[in-house]
Amino acid sequence: MTEIAGKLFTWINTRLPIVNTFERHLSKHPVPSKVNFWYLFGALAAVTLIIQVVTGIWLIMPYSNTEEQAFSSIEYIMRDVDYGWIIRYMHTTGASLFFAVVYLHMFRGLLYGSYQKPKELVWIFGCTIYLAMMAEGFLGYVLPYGQMSYWGAQVIISLFGAIPYIGESLELWVRGDYYISGITVSRFFALHVVALPLVLIALVFLHLVALHEVGAGNPEGVDIEEHLDEDGVPLDSVPFFPYKVLNALVAIGVFMTVFSIIMFFFPEGGGYFIEMANFQEANPLVTPDHIAPVWYYAPFYTMLRAIPDPLGGLIVMASAVAIFFIVPWLDRSKVASIRYKGIYSKIAITMFGVSFLTLGYLGTVGVTEVRKTMSVICTIIYFAYFLLMPIYTKYETTQEVPERL
Amino acid sequence: MISLANYFQIFSKGIVLFILLFYLNEIYAAEGGPCKDYGECDKFQYSLNDIESLQRGASTYINYCYGCHSLKYSRWGRVAKDLQIPEDIFFENLVFDKSIKPGDLMVGAMPEDSANWFGVEPPDLTLVSRYKGDDWIYSYLRAYYEDSSKQYGVNNLVYPGTAMPNVLMSLQGNQRLVCKDVPVLARNGGEKRDDFGNTIFKEKCGFLEVQDGTGILSREEFDTLIYDLTNFLVYVGEPSKATRERIGWYVVFYFLIFTALSSLLYREYHKDYNK
Repeated sequence: MTEIAGKLFTWINTRLPIVNTFERHLSKHPVPSKVNFWYLFGALAAVTLIIQVVTGIWLIMPYSNTEEQAFSSIEYIMRDVDYGWIIRYMHTTGASLFFAVVYLHMFRGLLYGSYQKPKELVWIFGCTIYLAMMAEGFLGYVLPYGQMSYWGAQVIISLFGAIPYIGESLELWVRGDYYISGITVSRFFALHVVALPLVLIALVFLHLVALHEVGAGNPEGVDIEEHLDEDGVPLDSVPFFPYKVLNALVAIGVFMTVFSIIMFFFPEGGGYFIEMANFQEANPLVTPDHIAPVWYYAPFYTMLRAIPDPLGGLIVMASAVAIFFIVPWLDRSKVASIRYKGIYSKIAITMFGVSFLTLGYLGTVGVTEVRKTMSVICTIIYFAYFLLMPIYTKYETTQEVPERL
Repeated sequence: MISLANYFQIFSKGIVLFILLFYLNEIYAAEGGPCKDYGECDKFQYSLNDIESLQRGASTYINYCYGCHSLKYSRWGRVAKDLQIPEDIFFENLVFDKSIKPGDLMVGAMPEDSANWFGVEPPDLTLVSRYKGDDWIYSYLRAYYEDSSKQYGVNNLVYPGTAMPNVLMSLQGNQRLVCKDVPVLARNGGEKRDDFGNTIFKEKCGFLEVQDGTGILSREEFDTLIYDLTNFLVYVGEPSKATRERIGWYVVFYFLIFTALSSLLYREYHKDYNK
């Protein structure tokens, strides 16, 4: 029996590079031997993506993408489908934690220069994933067709209208109707469950292939390829399996503990993960008192609100995301890691972090004069971090990077 | 000599200080809560394992509220099952329309033109505990007061200008806004006294007080009634909530064990290369 299985395996393996791929990308793939917790969020993002895909498939089954039934089909899932509530809460909690994990993953990149040569493409694929996620999250948020789905979509789609010349026709084209309706819901459904997941998975694949080509980074910014053993394996590396896998397993354990605490005890996340107003069915005649996006878009929403002119706001908001793409060329530092960069970089990234969090907070609360001023200040700091990067990274004194990890 | 880096540090410290001050200001400048004129909403702590409370709440709801407010995402049979009421007793006593089957949705008993009666159509309340919050419901239902300027002679502190009459008035009695003499507080929080040691009083208005003998229930009994009703609405807003919180402990426990075991395994393998 085992003989036949062995033969069959050899037959397949001579036609499909199973062993080769497995060894190259998993069992023997060398990863830096010393990394810190910041390097675990990539694996967690992958886990969350799988959770989203699997729960998403099961949610499609009972969900109804019509104007009349979208909202009630969600309640049907929550009440009448056996354990439907678990699947739905996994999906909503997963969405928020996906963003949390990806934000931390991106911040890791900024901290340790994970975008520097030769990892520019890894970074760019990553930024594109983030962009696709933002679209995916927005489309998904519209599907339950609650008040916040409706009015959130209203705000976001009307942004297209701010574009000169083609704005209005573009808005109409995206919405598929003169106002948000069942047509909008069903096209968003198609994009949310087919188009964007395909794009996301393809991008994640490219992100990983590019990463495995150039090798993973480390918090020291040491190039481990400089010191190889006689087999050409970096001395400061360990094989992905079992070392990295086990490391990730611990992280997954901690992550899933947090995940289940949220999902079972605070699924609404205090109104930040599922907004209270979204438990009311969409009503085109009643505007909610206070339209707030979910927390993960809040920083960008604040920037949009900080600029009085709609087109200006749109440009600022789009640039805030787009600017991530050119970070590899903004950083002129000789070193990669924040550990060896100079004081300017350290101050700059702290300021950036503080302003990003403050922008996030501001996006979830109403507008006052003080808050408006604060949003402008934080938006300026946000952009200054990127735009001044070529200057402060070039002229600051950096420390010597060690030879080995 | 101060270098450019020093200026930069001072400047950024200034900004961080400014942001901190902003947050301090945010904490002190509290916004008006959802309970409007009532002030802070009364805190409500649900107890979904108190089946008797839920049963009483369901009974109050069906007798006093269901005539106008449907629970259209909820099914009769599910409520009977979750509240551990035998189906025959449930249908005998709480379901007035005999054509209703256990699997039917609780779509309400209102005729089509109900909007004409109150100016607005009475909303469906299946999810009211989720979009308004349990604190809000608990406060709202106890915050009605006599106001002859309104259509039904009542107004509400939590929801000024509410279109709903006080359906529970016969139980609660006639609640009015009254003024009371309250002790004036000194800056240190203690009561202010005059030169002879007597507490200084000042008239303050906006207190809710029920006229004696106008209601069937005492204040405590009425609060319990509203507690049960709110508890029922929390249940109906998310029928799986009790189950969710029960099995949540097992899942969290499982992942804690998982984390512990995987970190032991990780440490064991870690020894290989970290000698």
